Amino acid sequence: MIELKNLCKEYATNDGTLVALKDINLKIEDGSIYGIIGLSGAGKSTLVRCINLLERPTSGDVIINGEELTKVKKKRLLELRRDIGMIFQNFNLLEQRTVEANIRFPLELAKEPKDNANKRIKELLKIVGLEDKANAYPSQLSGGQKQRVAIARALATNPKYLLCDEATSALDPNTTTAILDLLKNINHDLGITIVIITHEMRVVESICTHVAVIDKSQIVESGSVSEVFSFPRSQIAKELIIPNLIRSIKSSGNNKLRLVFDGKITDKPIISGLAIECGVAVNILFADTKNIDGKIYGHMVIEVPLDSSQCEKVKDYLNTHNVIFKEEI
Amino acid sequence: MSEMLKQLITSNDIFIQAGVTILMTLTSTAFAYLIGLPIGIVLNITDKDGLCPCVWLNRILGFFVNILRSMPFIILMVAFLPVAKFIVGTSLGNSAVVVMLVIAAAPYIARMVESSLKEVDNGVVEAAKSMGAGTLAIIFKVYLPEAKPSLIIGAVISTVTVLGYSAMASTIGGTGLGMVAIVYGHQRFNKDVIWICVAITVIIVQIIQEVGMFIALKTDKRIKTKSRKLKKIKEK
Repeated sequence: MIELKNLCKEYATNDGTLVALKDINLKIEDGSIYGIIGLSGAGKSTLVRCINLLERPTSGDVIINGEELTKVKKKRLLELRRDIGMIFQNFNLLEQRTVEANIRFPLELAKEPKDNANKRIKELLKIVGLEDKANAYPSQLSGGQKQRVAIARALATNPKYLLCDEATSALDPNTTTAILDLLKNINHDLGITIVIITHEMRVVESICTHVAVIDKSQIVESGSVSEVFSFPRSQIAKELIIPNLIRSIKSSGNNKLRLVFDGKITDKPIISGLAIECGVAVNILFADTKNIDGKIYGHMVIEVPLDSSQCEKVKDYLNTHNVIFKEEI
Repeated sequence: MSEMLKQLITSNDIFIQAGVTILMTLTSTAFAYLIGLPIGIVLNITDKDGLCPCVWLNRILGFFVNILRSMPFIILMVAFLPVAKFIVGTSLGNSAVVVMLVIAAAPYIARMVESSLKEVDNGVVEAAKSMGAGTLAIIFKVYLPEAKPSLIIGAVISTVTVLGYSAMASTIGGTGLGMVAIVYGHQRFNKDVIWICVAITVIIVQIIQEVGMFIALKTDKRIKTKSRKLKKIKEK
Protein backbone atom coordinates (compact mmCIF):
# COMPACT_ATOMS: atom_id res chain seq x y z
CA MET A 1 0.00 0.00 0.00
CA ILE A 2 1.16 3.53 -0.78
CA GLU A 3 0.28 6.02 1.90
CA LEU A 4 0.87 9.74 1.72
CA LYS A 5 0.49 11.57 5.01
CA ASN A 6 0.25 15.35 5.31
CA LEU A 7 2.53 15.73 2.34
CA CYS A 8 3.70 19.26 1.57
CA LYS A 9 6.08 20.47 -1.07
CA GLU A 10 7.30 24.02 -1.39
CA TYR A 11 9.79 25.54 -3.77
CA ALA A 12 11.83 28.61 -3.03
CA THR A 13 11.63 30.96 -6.00
CA ASN A 14 12.75 34.53 -6.52
CA ASP A 15 9.22 35.74 -5.79
CA GLY A 16 8.97 33.88 -2.50
CA THR A 17 7.87 30.34 -1.78
CA LEU A 18 5.73 28.46 -4.23
CA VAL A 19 3.44 25.85 -2.75
CA ALA A 20 3.23 22.85 -5.06
CA LEU A 21 1.50 20.44 -2.70
CA LYS A 22 -0.52 21.27 0.37
CA ASP A 23 -1.38 18.70 3.00
CA ILE A 24 -1.91 15.72 0.73
CA ASN A 25 -3.39 12.59 2.32
CA LEU A 26 -3.87 9.59 0.11
CA LYS A 27 -4.10 5.82 0.51
CA ILE A 28 -3.51 3.69 -2.54
CA GLU A 29 -4.53 0.11 -1.96
CA ASP A 30 -2.58 -2.74 -3.54
CA GLY A 31 -4.09 -4.01 -6.74
CA SER A 32 -5.93 -0.83 -7.61
CA ILE A 33 -5.49 1.49 -10.55
CA TYR A 34 -5.47 4.90 -8.97
CA GLY A 35 -6.04 7.93 -11.15
CA ILE A 36 -4.95 11.37 -10.04
CA ILE A 37 -6.59 13.96 -12.21
CA GLY A 38 -6.21 17.68 -12.34
CA LEU A 39 -5.56 20.59 -14.64
CA SER A 40 -2.08 21.69 -15.66
CA GLY A 41 -0.16 23.21 -12.81
CA ALA A 42 -2.35 21.64 -10.16
CA GLY A 43 0.63 19.74 -8.73
CA LYS A 44 0.02 16.28 -10.20
CA SER A 45 3.53 15.70 -11.49
CA THR A 46 5.10 16.87 -8.26
CA LEU A 47 2.80 14.55 -6.36
CA VAL A 48 3.79 11.45 -8.35
CA ARG A 49 7.47 12.38 -8.04
CA CYS A 50 7.09 12.54 -4.29
CA ILE A 51 5.96 8.91 -4.26
CA ASN A 52 9.37 7.63 -5.35
CA LEU A 53 11.14 10.63 -3.89
CA LEU A 54 12.41 12.03 -7.16
CA GLU A 55 11.16 15.13 -5.41
CA ARG A 56 11.73 15.24 -1.69
CA PRO A 57 8.63 16.53 0.12
CA THR A 58 9.16 19.54 2.34
CA SER A 59 7.21 17.81 5.09
CA GLY A 60 5.00 14.78 5.57
CA ASP A 61 5.55 11.08 5.04
CA VAL A 62 5.57 8.73 2.12
CA ILE A 63 4.95 5.21 3.38
CA ILE A 64 5.26 2.28 1.03
CA ASN A 65 4.53 -1.15 2.45
CA GLY A 66 5.03 0.24 5.92
CA GLU A 67 8.45 1.69 5.14
CA GLU A 68 8.88 5.43 5.50
CA LEU A 69 10.69 6.47 2.36
CA THR A 70 11.68 9.87 3.67
CA LYS A 71 13.61 8.27 6.51
CA VAL A 72 15.54 5.50 4.75
CA LYS A 73 19.22 5.68 3.78
CA LYS A 74 20.16 6.54 0.21
CA LYS A 75 21.22 2.98 -0.61
CA ARG A 76 17.94 1.53 0.62
CA LEU A 77 16.04 4.20 -1.30
CA LEU A 78 17.74 3.13 -4.54
CA GLU A 79 16.72 -0.46 -3.81
CA LEU A 80 13.16 0.56 -3.02
CA ARG A 81 12.91 2.48 -6.28
CA ARG A 82 13.40 -0.81 -8.11
CA ASP A 83 10.07 -1.78 -6.58
CA ILE A 84 8.38 1.27 -8.08
CA GLY A 85 8.49 1.46 -11.85
CA MET A 86 7.79 4.73 -13.58
CA ILE A 87 6.84 5.82 -17.09
CA PHE A 88 6.73 9.31 -18.48
CA GLN A 89 4.95 11.52 -20.98
CA ASN A 90 8.08 11.83 -23.12
CA PHE A 91 9.03 8.15 -22.73
CA ASN A 92 12.59 9.08 -21.66
CA LEU A 93 14.29 6.18 -23.38
CA LEU A 94 18.05 6.03 -23.72
CA GLU A 95 18.43 7.18 -27.33
CA GLN A 96 21.79 5.51 -27.85
CA ARG A 97 20.61 2.09 -26.73
CA THR A 98 18.52 -0.43 -28.60
CA VAL A 99 15.11 -1.47 -27.34
CA GLU A 100 16.65 -4.57 -25.81
CA ALA A 101 19.45 -2.61 -24.15
CA ASN A 102 16.96 -0.10 -22.79
CA ILE A 103 15.07 -2.89 -21.06
CA ARG A 104 18.39 -4.31 -19.91
CA PHE A 105 19.30 -1.03 -18.20
CA PRO A 106 17.39 -1.52 -14.93
CA LEU A 107 18.57 -5.16 -14.84
CA GLU A 108 22.18 -3.95 -15.14
CA LEU A 109 21.54 -1.58 -12.26
CA ALA A 110 20.13 -4.44 -10.20
CA LYS A 111 23.23 -6.52 -11.12
CA GLU A 112 21.07 -9.29 -12.55
CA PRO A 113 23.14 -12.17 -14.03
CA LYS A 114 23.19 -12.04 -17.82
CA ASP A 115 21.26 -15.27 -18.43
CA ASN A 116 18.41 -14.19 -16.19
CA ALA A 117 18.41 -10.78 -17.76
CA ASN A 118 18.16 -12.19 -21.28
CA LYS A 119 15.26 -14.39 -20.26
CA ARG A 120 13.49 -11.54 -18.53
CA ILE A 121 13.95 -9.24 -21.56
CA LYS A 122 12.32 -11.85 -23.81
CA GLU A 123 9.36 -12.14 -21.45
CA LEU A 124 8.93 -8.40 -21.26
CA LEU A 125 9.13 -7.92 -25.02
CA LYS A 126 6.37 -10.46 -25.29
CA ILE A 127 4.20 -8.74 -22.68
CA VAL A 128 4.39 -5.41 -24.52
CA GLY A 129 4.22 -7.01 -27.95
CA LEU A 130 7.50 -5.78 -29.38
CA GLU A 131 9.37 -9.04 -29.98
CA ASP A 132 10.32 -7.99 -33.49
CA LYS A 133 11.76 -4.63 -32.39
CA ALA A 134 14.42 -5.87 -29.97
CA ASN A 135 17.28 -4.45 -32.00
CA ALA A 136 15.65 -1.21 -33.11
CA TYR A 137 16.71 2.14 -31.73
CA PRO A 138 14.14 4.47 -30.11
CA SER A 139 14.39 6.93 -33.03
CA GLN A 140 13.03 4.21 -35.30
CA LEU A 141 9.91 3.66 -33.19
CA SER A 142 6.52 5.37 -33.06
CA GLY A 143 5.28 7.07 -29.92
CA GLY A 144 3.16 4.11 -28.88
CA GLN A 145 6.03 1.69 -29.40
CA LYS A 146 8.34 3.93 -27.38
CA GLN A 147 5.87 3.93 -24.51
CA ARG A 148 5.70 0.12 -24.73
CA VAL A 149 9.46 -0.05 -24.40
CA ALA A 150 9.26 2.31 -21.45
CA ILE A 151 6.64 0.08 -19.84
CA ALA A 152 8.76 -3.04 -20.41
CA ARG A 153 11.75 -1.23 -18.91
CA ALA A 154 9.73 -0.09 -15.90
CA LEU A 155 8.52 -3.66 -15.31
CA ALA A 156 11.94 -5.28 -15.70
CA THR A 157 12.73 -5.48 -12.01
CA ASN A 158 9.30 -6.93 -11.12
CA PRO A 159 8.01 -3.85 -9.32
CA LYS A 160 4.91 -3.88 -7.17
CA TYR A 161 3.94 -0.40 -8.27
CA LEU A 162 3.91 1.44 -11.55
CA LEU A 163 3.72 5.23 -11.64
CA CYS A 164 2.52 6.78 -14.89
CA ASP A 165 3.16 10.47 -15.35
CA GLU A 166 0.89 11.63 -18.18
CA ALA A 167 1.91 8.44 -19.96
CA THR A 168 -0.65 8.79 -22.75
CA SER A 169 -0.71 12.55 -23.15
CA ALA A 170 1.70 12.54 -26.09
CA LEU A 171 -0.16 9.78 -27.93
CA ASP A 172 -3.03 9.82 -30.40
CA PRO A 173 -6.45 8.49 -29.28
CA ASN A 174 -6.05 4.99 -30.78
CA THR A 175 -2.59 4.52 -29.35
CA THR A 176 -3.82 5.84 -26.01
CA THR A 177 -6.51 3.16 -25.95
CA ALA A 178 -3.94 0.46 -26.78
CA ILE A 179 -1.56 1.62 -24.06
CA LEU A 180 -4.39 1.84 -21.53
CA ASP A 181 -5.45 -1.70 -22.41
CA LEU A 182 -1.88 -2.83 -21.87
CA LEU A 183 -1.78 -1.14 -18.48
CA LYS A 184 -5.08 -2.76 -17.55
CA ASN A 185 -3.72 -6.17 -18.47
CA ILE A 186 -0.57 -5.56 -16.49
CA ASN A 187 -2.66 -4.65 -13.48
CA HIS A 188 -4.89 -7.65 -13.94
CA ASP A 189 -2.32 -10.32 -14.90
CA LEU A 190 0.70 -9.26 -12.87
CA GLY A 191 -1.16 -7.69 -9.97
CA ILE A 192 0.80 -4.48 -10.21
CA THR A 193 -0.70 -1.45 -8.51
CA ILE A 194 -0.82 1.44 -10.95
CA VAL A 195 -0.90 5.15 -10.19
CA ILE A 196 -1.90 7.27 -13.15
CA ILE A 197 -1.42 11.00 -13.35
CA THR A 198 -3.48 12.58 -16.08
CA HIS A 199 -5.54 15.52 -17.20
CA GLU A 200 -7.63 13.38 -19.54
CA MET A 201 -10.96 12.27 -18.20
CA ARG A 202 -11.15 9.31 -20.52
CA VAL A 203 -8.02 7.77 -19.04
CA VAL A 204 -9.59 7.67 -15.59
CA GLU A 205 -12.92 6.59 -17.02
CA SER A 206 -11.60 3.68 -18.97
CA ILE A 207 -9.19 2.01 -16.56
CA CYS A 208 -9.10 3.46 -13.07
CA THR A 209 -10.75 1.91 -10.05
CA HIS A 210 -10.12 4.90 -7.82
CA VAL A 211 -9.60 8.55 -8.47
CA ALA A 212 -8.38 11.62 -6.65
CA VAL A 213 -9.05 15.09 -7.98
CA ILE A 214 -6.30 17.59 -7.35
CA ASP A 215 -6.72 21.32 -7.64
CA LYS A 216 -4.51 24.21 -6.58
CA SER A 217 -2.04 21.88 -4.81
CA GLN A 218 -4.73 20.13 -2.79
CA ILE A 219 -6.75 16.99 -3.11
CA VAL A 220 -10.33 18.15 -3.24
CA GLU A 221 -12.02 14.82 -3.70
CA SER A 222 -11.15 11.14 -3.77
CA GLY A 223 -12.81 7.76 -3.79
CA SER A 224 -13.88 5.02 -6.15
CA VAL A 225 -14.37 6.11 -9.74
CA SER A 226 -18.09 5.34 -9.78
CA GLU A 227 -18.58 7.32 -6.57
CA VAL A 228 -16.69 10.40 -7.63
CA PHE A 229 -18.05 10.30 -11.17
CA SER A 230 -21.61 9.92 -10.06
CA PHE A 231 -21.57 12.60 -7.45
CA PRO A 232 -18.76 15.02 -8.02
CA ARG A 233 -18.87 17.41 -5.10
CA SER A 234 -16.19 19.96 -5.79
CA GLN A 235 -16.50 22.58 -8.49
CA ILE A 236 -13.33 21.40 -10.24
CA ALA A 237 -14.48 17.78 -10.29
CA LYS A 238 -17.77 18.84 -11.78
CA GLU A 239 -15.98 20.81 -14.43
CA LEU A 240 -13.70 17.92 -15.26
CA ILE A 241 -16.38 15.27 -15.25
CA ILE A 242 -19.47 17.01 -16.57
CA PRO A 243 -18.38 20.13 -18.39
CA ASN A 244 -20.97 20.01 -21.17
CA LEU A 245 -23.67 19.13 -18.73
CA ILE A 246 -23.17 22.26 -16.70
CA ARG A 247 -23.34 24.41 -19.79
CA SER A 248 -26.47 22.78 -21.13
CA ILE A 249 -28.24 23.24 -17.83
CA LYS A 250 -27.77 27.00 -17.81
CA SER A 251 -29.53 27.36 -21.12
CA SER A 252 -33.02 26.12 -20.16
CA GLY A 253 -35.31 26.53 -17.19
CA ASN A 254 -37.68 23.63 -16.52
CA ASN A 255 -37.96 20.83 -13.99
CA LYS A 256 -34.80 18.84 -14.47
CA LEU A 257 -33.37 15.62 -13.11
CA ARG A 258 -29.88 14.36 -13.46
CA LEU A 259 -29.70 10.58 -13.73
CA VAL A 260 -26.47 8.88 -12.82
CA PHE A 261 -25.44 5.56 -14.25
CA ASP A 262 -22.76 4.07 -12.07
CA GLY A 263 -22.47 0.64 -13.61
CA LYS A 264 -25.19 -1.05 -11.59
CA ILE A 265 -27.82 -0.85 -14.28
CA THR A 266 -26.88 -2.84 -17.33
CA ASP A 267 -29.21 -3.04 -20.25
CA LYS A 268 -32.66 -1.99 -19.05
CA PRO A 269 -34.38 0.55 -21.30
CA ILE A 270 -34.96 3.05 -18.52
CA ILE A 271 -36.24 6.04 -20.44
CA SER A 272 -38.71 4.20 -22.63
CA GLY A 273 -39.88 2.30 -19.58
CA LEU A 274 -40.40 5.59 -17.83
CA ALA A 275 -42.50 7.00 -20.64
CA ILE A 276 -44.63 3.88 -20.95
CA GLU A 277 -45.17 3.07 -17.28
CA CYS A 278 -45.73 6.58 -15.97
CA GLY A 279 -47.32 7.99 -19.05
CA VAL A 280 -45.07 10.99 -18.74
CA ALA A 281 -43.34 12.59 -21.67
CA VAL A 282 -39.76 13.34 -20.79
CA ASN A 283 -37.31 15.34 -22.74
CA ILE A 284 -33.66 14.30 -22.88
CA LEU A 285 -31.60 17.45 -22.53
CA PHE A 286 -28.24 15.81 -22.30
CA ALA A 287 -26.83 12.35 -22.32
CA ASP A 288 -23.30 11.12 -22.01
CA THR A 289 -23.18 7.45 -21.22
CA LYS A 290 -20.57 4.86 -21.92
CA ASN A 291 -20.61 1.13 -21.97
CA ILE A 292 -17.56 -0.06 -20.09
CA ASP A 293 -17.19 -3.81 -19.71
CA GLY A 294 -20.92 -4.23 -20.29
CA LYS A 295 -21.87 -1.74 -17.60
CA ILE A 296 -23.33 1.67 -18.21
CA TYR A 297 -21.55 4.70 -16.80
CA GLY A 298 -22.39 8.33 -17.31
CA HIS A 299 -24.99 10.99 -16.90
CA MET A 300 -28.25 11.99 -18.42
CA VAL A 301 -30.34 15.09 -17.84
CA ILE A 302 -34.04 14.83 -18.45
CA GLU A 303 -36.76 17.41 -18.37
CA VAL A 304 -39.99 16.41 -16.61
CA PRO A 305 -43.36 18.19 -16.44
CA LEU A 306 -43.72 20.88 -13.79
CA ASP A 307 -46.84 19.12 -12.53
CA SER A 308 -45.87 17.79 -9.09
CA SER A 309 -47.94 14.56 -9.18
CA GLN A 310 -46.36 13.52 -12.46
CA CYS A 311 -42.99 14.48 -11.13
CA GLU A 312 -43.50 12.24 -8.12
CA LYS A 313 -44.46 9.36 -10.39
CA VAL A 314 -41.21 9.73 -12.26
CA LYS A 315 -39.21 9.77 -9.04
CA ASP A 316 -40.98 6.68 -7.73
CA TYR A 317 -40.29 4.89 -10.97
CA LEU A 318 -36.60 5.81 -10.82
CA ASN A 319 -36.38 4.75 -7.20
CA THR A 320 -37.93 1.36 -7.83
CA HIS A 321 -35.50 0.78 -10.68
CA ASN A 322 -32.50 1.82 -8.61
CA VAL A 323 -31.60 4.71 -10.81
CA ILE A 324 -29.65 7.32 -8.90
CA PHE A 325 -30.88 10.82 -9.60
CA LYS A 326 -30.47 14.32 -8.34
CA GLU A 327 -32.79 17.26 -8.66
CA GLU A 328 -30.22 20.00 -8.57
CA ILE A 329 -27.56 19.39 -11.09
CA MET B 1 60.49 27.25 -55.52
CA SER B 2 63.08 28.44 -53.02
CA GLU B 3 66.23 26.47 -52.27
CA MET B 4 65.07 26.12 -48.71
CA LEU B 5 61.79 24.46 -49.73
CA LYS B 6 63.58 22.08 -52.09
CA GLN B 7 65.96 21.10 -49.33
CA LEU B 8 63.11 20.62 -46.85
CA ILE B 9 61.28 18.36 -49.26
CA THR B 10 64.22 16.27 -50.51
CA SER B 11 65.41 15.66 -46.97
CA ASN B 12 61.83 14.74 -45.98
CA ASP B 13 62.26 17.21 -43.12
CA ILE B 14 58.96 18.94 -43.74
CA PHE B 15 57.08 15.65 -43.53
CA ILE B 16 58.93 14.64 -40.40
CA GLN B 17 57.95 17.98 -38.85
CA ALA B 18 54.34 17.43 -39.92
CA GLY B 19 54.56 14.09 -38.12
CA VAL B 20 55.93 15.84 -35.04
CA THR B 21 53.01 18.27 -35.12
CA ILE B 22 50.50 15.45 -35.38
CA LEU B 23 52.14 13.46 -32.62
CA MET B 24 52.35 16.50 -30.34
CA THR B 25 48.72 17.36 -30.99
CA LEU B 26 47.38 13.86 -30.37
CA THR B 27 49.46 13.22 -27.22
CA SER B 28 48.53 16.58 -25.72
CA THR B 29 44.84 16.14 -26.53
CA ALA B 30 44.85 12.66 -25.02
CA PHE B 31 46.48 13.82 -21.78
CA ALA B 32 44.28 16.91 -21.72
CA TYR B 33 41.22 14.65 -21.87
CA LEU B 34 42.49 12.64 -18.91
CA ILE B 35 42.28 15.86 -16.90
CA GLY B 36 39.54 17.75 -18.72
CA LEU B 37 36.96 14.98 -18.92
CA PRO B 38 36.67 14.40 -15.15
CA ILE B 39 36.68 18.16 -14.52
CA GLY B 40 33.93 18.59 -17.11
CA ILE B 41 31.87 15.87 -15.45
CA VAL B 42 32.33 17.43 -12.02
CA LEU B 43 31.43 20.87 -13.40
CA ASN B 44 28.24 19.43 -14.85
CA ILE B 45 27.04 17.44 -11.87
CA THR B 46 27.89 20.05 -9.23
CA ASP B 47 25.90 22.71 -11.07
CA LYS B 48 22.93 23.99 -9.08
CA ASP B 49 20.56 22.02 -11.31
CA GLY B 50 22.99 19.10 -11.59
CA LEU B 51 23.01 15.58 -10.28
CA CYS B 52 24.64 16.42 -6.95
CA PRO B 53 24.61 20.19 -6.63
CA CYS B 54 27.61 21.64 -4.83
CA VAL B 55 27.77 25.32 -5.58
CA TRP B 56 31.07 26.14 -3.85
CA LEU B 57 32.99 23.38 -5.63
CA ASN B 58 31.41 24.38 -8.93
CA ARG B 59 32.39 28.03 -8.39
CA ILE B 60 35.99 27.24 -7.44
CA LEU B 61 36.53 24.82 -10.34
CA GLY B 62 34.81 27.20 -12.74
CA PHE B 63 37.00 30.05 -11.53
CA PHE B 64 40.25 28.20 -12.24
CA VAL B 65 39.00 26.93 -15.56
CA ASN B 66 38.06 30.46 -16.57
CA ILE B 67 41.44 31.89 -15.58
CA LEU B 68 43.34 29.30 -17.62
CA ARG B 69 40.93 29.71 -20.51
CA SER B 70 41.40 33.47 -20.62
CA MET B 71 45.20 33.30 -20.77
CA PRO B 72 46.58 33.65 -24.30
CA PHE B 73 48.53 30.49 -25.06
CA ILE B 74 51.78 32.25 -25.82
CA ILE B 75 51.72 33.94 -22.38
CA LEU B 76 50.55 30.79 -20.60
CA MET B 77 53.51 29.00 -22.19
CA VAL B 78 56.13 31.27 -20.70
CA ALA B 79 54.28 31.74 -17.40
CA PHE B 80 54.06 28.02 -16.66
CA LEU B 81 57.61 27.05 -17.63
CA PRO B 82 58.46 25.98 -14.04
CA VAL B 83 55.54 23.54 -14.15
CA ALA B 84 56.99 21.91 -17.26
CA LYS B 85 60.37 21.73 -15.58
CA PHE B 86 58.77 20.06 -12.58
CA ILE B 87 56.80 17.53 -14.62
CA VAL B 88 59.11 16.57 -17.49
CA GLY B 89 62.41 17.85 -16.12
CA THR B 90 62.93 20.48 -18.78
CA SER B 91 61.39 23.76 -19.83
CA LEU B 92 62.59 23.46 -23.39
CA GLY B 93 61.66 21.34 -26.37
CA ASN B 94 58.68 19.29 -27.42
CA SER B 95 58.00 17.54 -24.11
CA ALA B 96 57.70 20.96 -22.43
CA VAL B 97 55.40 22.03 -25.27
CA VAL B 98 53.18 19.00 -24.63
CA VAL B 99 52.88 19.97 -20.93
CA MET B 100 51.88 23.49 -21.95
CA LEU B 101 49.37 22.24 -24.46
CA VAL B 102 47.81 20.00 -21.82
CA ILE B 103 47.56 22.90 -19.37
CA ALA B 104 45.92 25.07 -22.01
CA ALA B 105 43.63 22.43 -23.49
CA ALA B 106 42.36 20.71 -20.31
CA PRO B 107 40.15 23.62 -19.15
CA TYR B 108 38.92 24.12 -22.69
CA ILE B 109 38.00 20.44 -22.89
CA ALA B 110 36.37 20.61 -19.46
CA ARG B 111 33.96 23.26 -20.74
CA MET B 112 33.37 21.26 -23.93
CA VAL B 113 32.51 18.15 -21.92
CA GLU B 114 30.34 20.15 -19.54
CA SER B 115 28.23 21.53 -22.37
CA SER B 116 28.00 18.15 -24.12
CA LEU B 117 26.65 16.59 -20.94
CA LYS B 118 24.16 19.44 -20.55
CA GLU B 119 22.58 18.33 -23.82
CA VAL B 120 21.51 15.03 -22.26
CA ASP B 121 17.76 15.13 -21.66
CA ASN B 122 16.92 15.62 -18.01
CA GLY B 123 13.96 13.31 -18.41
CA VAL B 124 16.27 10.41 -19.23
CA VAL B 125 18.29 11.13 -16.10
CA GLU B 126 15.06 11.24 -14.12
CA ALA B 127 14.01 7.89 -15.60
CA ALA B 128 17.37 6.39 -14.60
CA LYS B 129 16.89 7.74 -11.08
CA SER B 130 13.43 6.21 -10.91
CA MET B 131 15.02 2.85 -11.71
CA GLY B 132 17.33 3.18 -8.74
CA ALA B 133 20.47 4.39 -10.51
CA GLY B 134 23.04 6.02 -8.24
CA THR B 135 25.25 8.94 -9.18
CA LEU B 136 28.07 6.86 -10.68
CA ALA B 137 25.69 4.71 -12.68
CA ILE B 138 24.03 7.82 -14.07
CA ILE B 139 27.39 9.31 -15.10
CA PHE B 140 28.75 6.17 -16.75
CA LYS B 141 25.57 4.58 -18.05
CA VAL B 142 23.50 7.62 -18.95
CA TYR B 143 25.46 10.86 -19.31
CA LEU B 144 28.57 9.63 -21.10
CA PRO B 145 26.95 7.12 -23.50
CA GLU B 146 24.03 9.42 -24.32
CA ALA B 147 26.36 12.36 -24.96
CA LYS B 148 28.85 10.30 -26.93
CA PRO B 149 28.27 11.82 -30.37
CA SER B 150 28.45 15.31 -28.94
CA LEU B 151 31.58 14.40 -26.95
CA ILE B 152 33.25 13.12 -30.12
CA ILE B 153 32.46 16.34 -31.97
CA GLY B 154 33.86 18.24 -28.99
CA ALA B 155 37.02 16.13 -29.21
CA VAL B 156 37.42 17.03 -32.88
CA ILE B 157 37.11 20.73 -32.14
CA SER B 158 39.53 20.44 -29.21
CA THR B 159 42.09 18.57 -31.30
CA VAL B 160 42.00 21.22 -34.00
CA THR B 161 42.42 23.93 -31.37
CA VAL B 162 45.41 22.12 -29.89
CA LEU B 163 46.86 21.78 -33.37
CA GLY B 164 46.59 25.55 -33.73
CA TYR B 165 48.31 26.14 -30.37
CA SER B 166 51.11 23.74 -31.28
CA ALA B 167 52.26 26.15 -33.99
CA MET B 168 53.63 28.35 -31.21
CA ALA B 169 55.91 25.56 -30.01
CA SER B 170 59.03 27.21 -31.34
CA THR B 171 58.69 29.93 -28.67
CA ILE B 172 60.05 27.49 -26.10
CA GLY B 173 62.23 25.47 -28.44
CA GLY B 174 59.66 23.06 -29.74
CA THR B 175 59.51 21.87 -33.33
CA GLY B 176 56.79 20.93 -35.80
CA LEU B 177 55.21 22.72 -38.74
CA GLY B 178 54.85 25.98 -36.84
CA MET B 179 58.58 26.07 -36.21
CA VAL B 180 59.32 25.34 -39.90
CA ALA B 181 57.01 28.14 -41.02
CA ILE B 182 58.48 30.66 -38.61
CA VAL B 183 62.16 29.75 -38.62
CA TYR B 184 62.71 28.57 -42.21
CA GLY B 185 59.87 30.51 -43.80
CA HIS B 186 59.29 33.81 -42.06
CA GLN B 187 62.70 34.52 -40.58
CA ARG B 188 64.58 33.55 -43.78
CA PHE B 189 62.14 35.20 -46.17
CA ASN B 190 60.87 32.02 -47.89
CA LYS B 191 57.21 32.74 -48.41
CA ASP B 192 56.63 29.42 -50.20
CA VAL B 193 57.75 27.49 -47.11
CA ILE B 194 55.12 29.32 -45.05
CA TRP B 195 52.40 28.47 -47.55
CA ILE B 196 53.44 24.84 -47.81
CA CYS B 197 53.17 24.60 -44.01
CA VAL B 198 49.74 26.21 -44.19
CA ALA B 199 48.66 23.73 -46.88
CA ILE B 200 49.84 20.72 -44.90
CA THR B 201 48.09 22.03 -41.78
CA VAL B 202 44.86 22.48 -43.70
CA ILE B 203 45.08 18.90 -44.92
CA ILE B 204 45.70 17.59 -41.39
CA VAL B 205 42.76 19.61 -40.02
CA GLN B 206 40.52 18.33 -42.81
CA ILE B 207 41.44 14.73 -42.09
CA ILE B 208 40.81 15.13 -38.34
CA GLN B 209 37.52 16.87 -39.02
CA GLU B 210 36.24 14.33 -41.53
CA VAL B 211 37.29 11.26 -39.58
CA GLY B 212 35.87 12.72 -36.36
CA MET B 213 32.55 13.64 -37.89
CA PHE B 214 32.30 10.25 -39.55
CA ILE B 215 32.77 8.51 -36.21
CA ALA B 216 30.33 10.88 -34.50
CA LEU B 217 27.65 10.25 -37.10
CA LYS B 218 28.28 6.54 -37.05
CA THR B 219 27.88 6.32 -33.27
CA ASP B 220 24.81 8.53 -33.10
CA LYS B 221 21.71 6.35 -33.06
CA ARG B 222 19.34 9.28 -32.98
CA ILE B 223 19.77 10.61 -36.49
CA LYS B 224 20.11 7.31 -38.27
CA THR B 225 16.59 7.38 -39.63
CA LYS B 226 16.86 11.07 -40.41
CA SER B 227 19.99 10.65 -42.49
CA ARG B 228 18.41 7.73 -44.29
CA LYS B 229 15.36 9.82 -45.00
CA LEU B 230 17.58 12.62 -46.32
CA LYS B 231 19.31 10.16 -48.60
CA LYS B 232 15.98 8.98 -49.91
CA ILE B 233 14.88 12.54 -50.53
CA LYS B 234 18.10 13.24 -52.36
CA GLU B 235 17.65 10.13 -54.51
CA LYS B 236 14.25 11.36 -55.56
